[in-house]
Amino acid sequence: MNPMKHSVSGRLPWLACTAALALVCAALRKWQLGSAFDEGTGLPAPGAQASVILVCVIVMAGAWFVLLSMYQPMTRRPWSPGQAHRWDLVFLDAGDPVYPVLVVAAAALALAAVPVLFIVGVGQFQRYQELLDAGLQTPSNNGMLTLATAAGAFLAALGLLQMGRDGLRPGRRGKGGFSAALPGVAGCVWLMESFRSHAANPVQWDYAPQLIAIVLGMLFYMDFAGMSAGAARPRRLLWMAGMTAILSAVSLVSTAAELSTPDVSLCSAQMGDLLLLLSQTLAAAGVLWRLPPNLENPPRFQHTPISPDPGETVIQEETTDE
Amino acid sequence: MDENLEEQRAAGAPEPPSQPEGQAGPPSGAQVRRDASAGRDLYMNVRVLVTMMAVFVLLFTFVARVIVVSGPSMENTLWGGDLILVWSLGYEPKQGDIVVLTQESYQEDSIVKRVIATGGQRVDIDYGSNTVCVDGEPIREDYIREPMLTPGWGEGINHVVVPEGCIFVMGDNRNESADSRYPAIGIVDARCVIGRGMAVLFPFRHWKGL
Repeated sequence: MNPMKHSVSGRLPWLACTAALALVCAALRKWQLGSAFDEGTGLPAPGAQASVILVCVIVMAGAWFVLLSMYQPMTRRPWSPGQAHRWDLVFLDAGDPVYPVLVVAAAALALAAVPVLFIVGVGQFQRYQELLDAGLQTPSNNGMLTLATAAGAFLAALGLLQMGRDGLRPGRRGKGGFSAALPGVAGCVWLMESFRSHAANPVQWDYAPQLIAIVLGMLFYMDFAGMSAGAARPRRLLWMAGMTAILSAVSLVSTAAELSTPDVSLCSAQMGDLLLLLSQTLAAAGVLWRLPPNLENPPRFQHTPISPDPGETVIQEETTDE
Repeated sequence: MDENLEEQRAAGAPEPPSQPEGQAGPPSGAQVRRDASAGRDLYMNVRVLVTMMAVFVLLFTFVARVIVVSGPSMENTLWGGDLILVWSLGYEPKQGDIVVLTQESYQEDSIVKRVIATGGQRVDIDYGSNTVCVDGEPIREDYIREPMLTPGWGEGINHVVVPEGCIFVMGDNRNESADSRYPAIGIVDARCVIGRGMAVLFPFRHWKGL
């Protein structure tokens, strides 16, 4: 692999904006939790300032990331023989440890969520069975979705480990990026479990940020996988990564606030959510670290004639075959 | 080979003629892309499923959801096991609507009831004459299963003015319903309402609008 020189400028706007907006949104969420809900009932106060401002900032963040994506410099490269897709190596950089460290840390967090969720799921299943055996009214939750979420977290950890490995090993082709589909699919189970656990909650603010964060995470991972499956959407992937980090930060604040609940089972479930949210935030940060400079100056193998066409070094155009 | 094709295209050269079937020849750009996209179909199918899942959950969260009725409190309008469609988006409770709500002082799961009165209205329940009056006028209740009996916990909340922003709800099966008459539930804050029951979806023999 040829050594690549990546300018910091490519990733700086993305990382700086994402970090700043995530902090602002997290602070707003904390303010909202303290001011926008009735103390006794927990019901939302209509027209609360914090809620309105938080929504506005999230929408503005989305619009700002659209602009950043549109003006993200990107190199068009010709097709090369044997290369699956022009963007399937775009996460490769053997000389840069940051991306693999972030993604492997994300994998570790997902893996840490497995036993937590497994114990919660087993507890819920046992309680359900006890009530069933006693002939009493059973709760709507029998623990199976929580157990499935634990299994999904394990698959996600495997996928994330593979993603980190593919970003570090120069000898591998880039098809390993397809492993990003694993956390994406696992996110479906997590989403169902999260929706189920809040299905009877009339306060949408309690769970909507988390559901949206999970949805964005799922779509982010699927776009990541698409980079190596002939369906690349690099600009959309950058947008997804930024928004995943921001919504995850918002959701992390409320999840962390609920960790102090006296209900041990609920507390453990929140811990599982917390670990998974942190995991997808780190993965998104890894993508924002690696992708912008590599889109400007894509990595390649030796003897692979993929130098840009003359006069076509940098263009402002989506380059996919879809 | 493919580089040559790309270079020719870049130089504005015409596309090479396609090869007759069965003859070997240089692959076209489209063939190269198709070959290069091994796993693309699988990926696209998975992506469609993941996207559909995301769309469904977001729709069920913000627009409408499907819930299963449990218990006999709404018979004969709704039966245990009925699957009903509940509309959430922009809904404000109105008198006579069937609503799904959660009153955590009673139970964590949601319950299905009918709105008898909204904020500012006065409710008077007379078990002797089997009438429910709202603002002094007896309401016509074709939907109740059987005449009301005095509940086991006593008459409960039966003469009350509903505060603004709240609703008074009752089950259609008055004698087997824990509702606003029951002190643990009482008058319900309208913000506890998840949505309005729109239709019974399943079983098909119960299919109807609500």
